[in-house]
Amino acid sequence: MALSRRFLPFVLPLALLILWQAGVSTLQPGPRTPTPGSVVSTAWSLISTGQLPLAMILSLGRVLTGFVSAAVCAILIGFLMAVSPSIGRNLDPLMESFRPIAPIALLPLAILWFGTGTSAAAFIVGYAAFFPILINTIQGVRSIDPSLPRAARTLGVGLPAIIRNVILPGALPNIFVGARLGLGLAWSSIIAAELAVGAKTGDAGSGGIGQMMFVFYAYSVDLSGIIVCMIAVGVVALVIDRGLRAVEKRLLPWKQ
Amino acid sequence: METVAIPTKAKISLIAITKQYITPRTGQTTLAVSDVSLNIQQGEFLCIVGPSGCGKSTILSMIAGLTKPSSGTISMDGNAIHGPGRERGVVFQDYALFPWKTVRENIEFGPRFRDRAPLSTAARRELVDHYIELVSLNGSEDKYPHELSGGMRQRCAFARALANEPDVLLMDEPFAALDAQTRLILQEELLRIWGEELPRDKRKTVVFITHGIDEAVFLADRVAVMSNHPGQIKMEKPIGLPRPRNEGVRLTTDFQKLVDEIWQLIRHDAYEATIGKAGIKQA
Repeated sequence: MALSRRFLPFVLPLALLILWQAGVSTLQPGPRTPTPGSVVSTAWSLISTGQLPLAMILSLGRVLTGFVSAAVCAILIGFLMAVSPSIGRNLDPLMESFRPIAPIALLPLAILWFGTGTSAAAFIVGYAAFFPILINTIQGVRSIDPSLPRAARTLGVGLPAIIRNVILPGALPNIFVGARLGLGLAWSSIIAAELAVGAKTGDAGSGGIGQMMFVFYAYSVDLSGIIVCMIAVGVVALVIDRGLRAVEKRLLPWKQ
Repeated sequence: METVAIPTKAKISLIAITKQYITPRTGQTTLAVSDVSLNIQQGEFLCIVGPSGCGKSTILSMIAGLTKPSSGTISMDGNAIHGPGRERGVVFQDYALFPWKTVRENIEFGPRFRDRAPLSTAARRELVDHYIELVSLNGSEDKYPHELSGGMRQRCAFARALANEPDVLLMDEPFAALDAQTRLILQEELLRIWGEELPRDKRKTVVFITHGIDEAVFLADRVAVMSNHPGQIKMEKPIGLPRPRNEGVRLTTDFQKLVDEIWQLIRHDAYEATIGKAGIKQA
């Protein structure tokens, strides 16, 4: 019983794999008809030559740069907007009008300002991560029970200590929600950013994972390679999210 | 800001306090507290009772310095109160414990983070241990508030206020959210921790808000009875019941008489607050 339940999550993916193999075998083999076998062998060669790890590390570096700068800005601005009604009122229209603009729509600007390298990609990524963190920070600060800072004041605690020990920990659960959403969006927009931004730099691997996909698409027309990249992106996203959850668990022990 | 010297020996003194609220939606002005004057002596246990909405919590909030009166002066030891301060500890009705801090961390919050004279880690440890012991929370030091029962949360909030060593303790319906049995037990506990048998100058001054008349009579040296619309003090009733008090006091005729006297005074307002003007005729 316990054993069969443990295998249950693998049933559907396995069935899809079999269906995929069966479907492909009725067609002409070629670069546009990837099979599970060709994907595995492409994956192996991409990993063993170090191209895929290199691309991943490059992309991850860009995501981290963009994400961290976005988080710092978003948490600071979010705090100010939530704490001061006048700052909140004045910044809100600006933020709300930028928010619906897709990160990819900023590509032309990013390329003209920052060129086609890492900084342009990091800019796009940061822009994507900024809004979910901002909105959740504001929400987190505003959702703090007003009796908590009041209680701190009656204990003779001043504003800086209240911000550090009441407002910040009180908003932290929401900030984490924003960070997880933001990191997810950052990771998905790096592909788009590199598809365009990185298309002009170096050969496969050195332009990041998005660039690698672009090369498979535009030059070698290798669908197996693209699928390997997609799977790699998904796996990395999962690892990142689990990592962030583990950090959350450590930082928010009262939430369990 | 001008400092008004108030010629009185009272610990806390309220002179002609009025508080008006303006409802933002309607622009209507509500008179929550109207011309309240009250002196509270050092070491006195004062209860303020009244029907819901009579402004008793507003008075407490003004003494705490969290709300400013529209007019009038509030002073402590002759100095006007302009804001919250360590010398006036507050126990809130909803406890207001920090959910991300354990019992121990909640209790040490004041001594650790207050602006003036915060304590060292070692001094804090000793102090917090003492108060954990005093409110019988040993064994629960490392629990988070959500892991505690209502009564334990209440005791933790009480210890947090006490550990900051205030001169005055302000309690806003602290037992209102508890079940009847827990409430009775905690009332006796409160008197024990307050130090009933200590001389007056060694005891903390307590202002205790409640809508429970028997609770007020059981605890207080003096009960201030408030009326509704506008919130005013109708009567101040000294409670001469001997201390230390225990469960048996409730059965005495003196106790019953005091409770009934206060009830007769506010029942009209209480009915009005509960079932509106139409209900009073039938009552």
